[in-house]
Amino acid sequence: MIAANKPNKIARYGMSIDLDRCTGCGACMVACAVENNVPPAHEGATARKGITWIRVFKVDNGEEGPARRSVFVPVLCQQCGEDTPCVHVCPQQAVEVDPATGIVGQMPERCLGCRYCMAACPYHARFFNWWDPQWPAGMEKTLNPDVAPRMRGVVEKCNFCHGRWHAAKERAAAAGKSEIEAGAYVPACVESCPTGAIRFGDLKDAASEPAVAAKDAHSFRLLEKLGTEPKIYYHSKRDWVRQVAAAPKPPNGKENARG
Amino acid sequence: MLPWNYGFHWTAGTMIFMGAFYTVVVIVASTLVNAALRSRRALRTRQAERIRWAEDFHDLPARDRQCRHVLTGEFGYRECPNAFDCRQCETHAKLVASAAPDRISEPEEDIFGMAFPLDRVYHRGHTWVHSEPDGTVTVGLDDLGRRLLGEPDRVDLPQPGGRVSVNGTAWHAHKRNADVRILSPVDGEIVATGGPDAPWYLRIRPDRMDFRNLLGGHEIRPWVMREMERLQLALSAEGAAPTLADGGVPVQDIAAVYPQADWDAVCGEMFLEA
Amino acid sequence: MDREFITRGVKRCSGGKFLLWILPWVAMLIFGLYSAGLCLVKGLNQTNMDNRFAFGLWIFLDLTVIALGAGAFFTGFLLYILKMKELRAVINSAVVIGVVCYSGAMCALAVDVGQPLRFWFTFWYPNVHSMLTEVTFCITCYLTVLMIEYLPIVLKNRKLRDVPEFLVFEHELHKLIYVLAGVGTFLSFFHQGSLGGLYGVLRGRPFAFREGLAIWPSTFFLFILSAAAVGPSFVLLTTWLVEKISKKRLVRPEAMQMLGRISGLLLAVYVLLKTIDTLVWINRTSPGNGFPAAQYYAWHPFGTWILFTEIALLGMVPALILLTPKLRARTGWLVSAAAMACCGVALNRFVQTVQTLAVPTLSFDKFMTYTPSWQEVGTFLAVLAYGVLVYSFSFRYFQLFPDERELKLEVAQVEEEPALVGRY
Repeated sequence: MIAANKPNKIARYGMSIDLDRCTGCGACMVACAVENNVPPAHEGATARKGITWIRVFKVDNGEEGPARRSVFVPVLCQQCGEDTPCVHVCPQQAVEVDPATGIVGQMPERCLGCRYCMAACPYHARFFNWWDPQWPAGMEKTLNPDVAPRMRGVVEKCNFCHGRWHAAKERAAAAGKSEIEAGAYVPACVESCPTGAIRFGDLKDAASEPAVAAKDAHSFRLLEKLGTEPKIYYHSKRDWVRQVAAAPKPPNGKENARG
Repeated sequence: MLPWNYGFHWTAGTMIFMGAFYTVVVIVASTLVNAALRSRRALRTRQAERIRWAEDFHDLPARDRQCRHVLTGEFGYRECPNAFDCRQCETHAKLVASAAPDRISEPEEDIFGMAFPLDRVYHRGHTWVHSEPDGTVTVGLDDLGRRLLGEPDRVDLPQPGGRVSVNGTAWHAHKRNADVRILSPVDGEIVATGGPDAPWYLRIRPDRMDFRNLLGGHEIRPWVMREMERLQLALSAEGAAPTLADGGVPVQDIAAVYPQADWDAVCGEMFLEA
Repeated sequence: MDREFITRGVKRCSGGKFLLWILPWVAMLIFGLYSAGLCLVKGLNQTNMDNRFAFGLWIFLDLTVIALGAGAFFTGFLLYILKMKELRAVINSAVVIGVVCYSGAMCALAVDVGQPLRFWFTFWYPNVHSMLTEVTFCITCYLTVLMIEYLPIVLKNRKLRDVPEFLVFEHELHKLIYVLAGVGTFLSFFHQGSLGGLYGVLRGRPFAFREGLAIWPSTFFLFILSAAAVGPSFVLLTTWLVEKISKKRLVRPEAMQMLGRISGLLLAVYVLLKTIDTLVWINRTSPGNGFPAAQYYAWHPFGTWILFTEIALLGMVPALILLTPKLRARTGWLVSAAAMACCGVALNRFVQTVQTLAVPTLSFDKFMTYTPSWQEVGTFLAVLAYGVLVYSFSFRYFQLFPDERELKLEVAQVEEEPALVGRY
């Protein structure tokens, strides 16, 4: 949106998550919170009021006994590319898709806290700061200086570690390059995943892992039929996983979320 | 909102939206300013009294806005279009021109024991105007008005030298909980003030000797009959026992007979004040 | 003593009795303000809303109250633009209801947003594609218009009228009231619609998403229609309530029936269109997005009964009652039908706001319920108490029902008739 930010090459950052590799360890959730200065949960906070830019759901096939199968599904902002539901609902342009990167960004300093974007998001990937952010004494030393903490009463969400994108940009500029090289910019969750289930890259770059995964027959995206063109590709060779993910509702209707 | 704000785009959507918004703002603001300017002009040209009467008249029930020619039976039903100011009324002029001259046999109408001398003309708000030899007129309360207020608790008379206008406030009278504005029957300058104990309340030098808006002669009897009916209604609406209907004569101080009645409401009704 | 502020010729209860009436409401208001204060000072963690139930009781309240307050614009439109003179009897009351509803909703919204002090951002950086921007702009403008429409009612107070400036301004403003009525109609049309559009545009919520015309989803038009239908009903209901509480006749039955008939007519059209819309949604829109509509009603307690109650029981039935002259002529039927219509629209707003959020979109997500916290209920009650108080004071000191005095005289006349006949 700002001319000076416009690179020569327009990137469309995306992600591929191999569900067959995810062990549900939650390292991505921790890394994300640390990287992005998400404060520890406030006293009295429930899972429904917590801030988890990435969240690992435990999903099963609805069977009981030995036939029961489980899979872990990390869900983060799906970075919708088309008709991005949260962007056009924001009354004050606090949400925008960066034309240079395709990343859906939230500007907390302009957010009114009306939460209309949260109602609009089909992935429940947006979080409201119900409390003032607080860190235990001494812990503020561990804060990431590249990311501004958010205040109470505003909405926040995954932005593919925007601080890291900036840092990569600066490093590239320092090296005399106009663009970020593949692999030079990676969000924290990708980096922290011990099994390498989460891969990150530019979907426009046909050689990048997400671009390759996108073409795989075993890949799918969440709620694809809504037509919002999310940029997170999930991958599983197990048929039941793909079926459960594409089903309009849980097989048994019972609660099976975690995180 | 403004082109220099971050995020502003000159798109069709923005222009339609902003165009509609600013149009609404301009319309609402100009309506307010317009009303304020008109009010200022009205205040400067001393229209407040005229406006007060226009509103009061408008708020009167339809049956109380009847033309004087309905009282005399010339019309079956006609609402006065001129707020009881017959000086502009063409219908009134025509009817007066075609009517036979009044033949007054008695110098005074006696209605239920109330005296309505016919040497004077009456306003529908229960004041009379009597022409004096020196070119001024005296204004007073008619017998019904006098009896309604009885011995007033207080009367606020205007200062001599001030002006009154037709249907504007002549003076204020207080009786029990009633606080009423007595309407002026004439335009003019106040020369002297009397009061409840004097034969008249105001002596006025009228701008013109034009009393076409006032009732006289044969109109008095039907008008007073009608007024008695209205009084009757007002009294019973205020929960007073309907003694008048028994053919009783209004006493000198009607208020004293109805200690329970909301006298303010009764007087408002009779003196044509909302 | 406040006697001299009370309109001449109408009866109002004694000051003491009035005080007794407002006391519980004041207590409720104070409790509510304390609740709202907690939410403002400590933050929205005081509520039971969460990241899934981003909207809760308050948004339901706002939408309902604004739908019910539509009587102000619609009565104004019918009276000043379409010249239906009978409605003069209720227009002042309708304006007060409008002021109460809209200002109450605005106050609730101010507590509801996370950063109330940033309210001006919407005006400074408006996203013209957002329905909420349209709502914010229109409601702010319309509340201003309503306040200006309320002004003549206040200035016409007996004591204030003694000040020539007030008298004259009231008179001049009232002469221009048709301009305001026109602007109010335009604004109401858009914000009632946009409130519906608010949910209809949510592509990510197949339960709420609707197709429509150009940029407006069908809910845009349905909300306008339902608000216009229920506004007169609510005016009718309030008038009846005030008559019962004050034990007075305030409005002629013809005016009440006219409100009922208008309400019934619009409600019938609304129910018809709502039915078509629902069928299109069930058979086309929702399955097209990958969501068979039946699944929304598999979650208890949100069964299909809710659809039936909303459209048939609280939509079609009151519409038919209001359109039947014989039933309409009987106060019991008339008022019950109006109350049912109001409940129907409230249920519609509830479904739009709460059910939309309760139904999961991700196949492995769960259905969630939410119960408002006492702070949320308190704030809700504050809006209610505020409304009752503003209306009570307005009723006591301003002339909300211009026919009241005349009706009182008419009653007296009927009682006096034999006596008068005997006399002449």
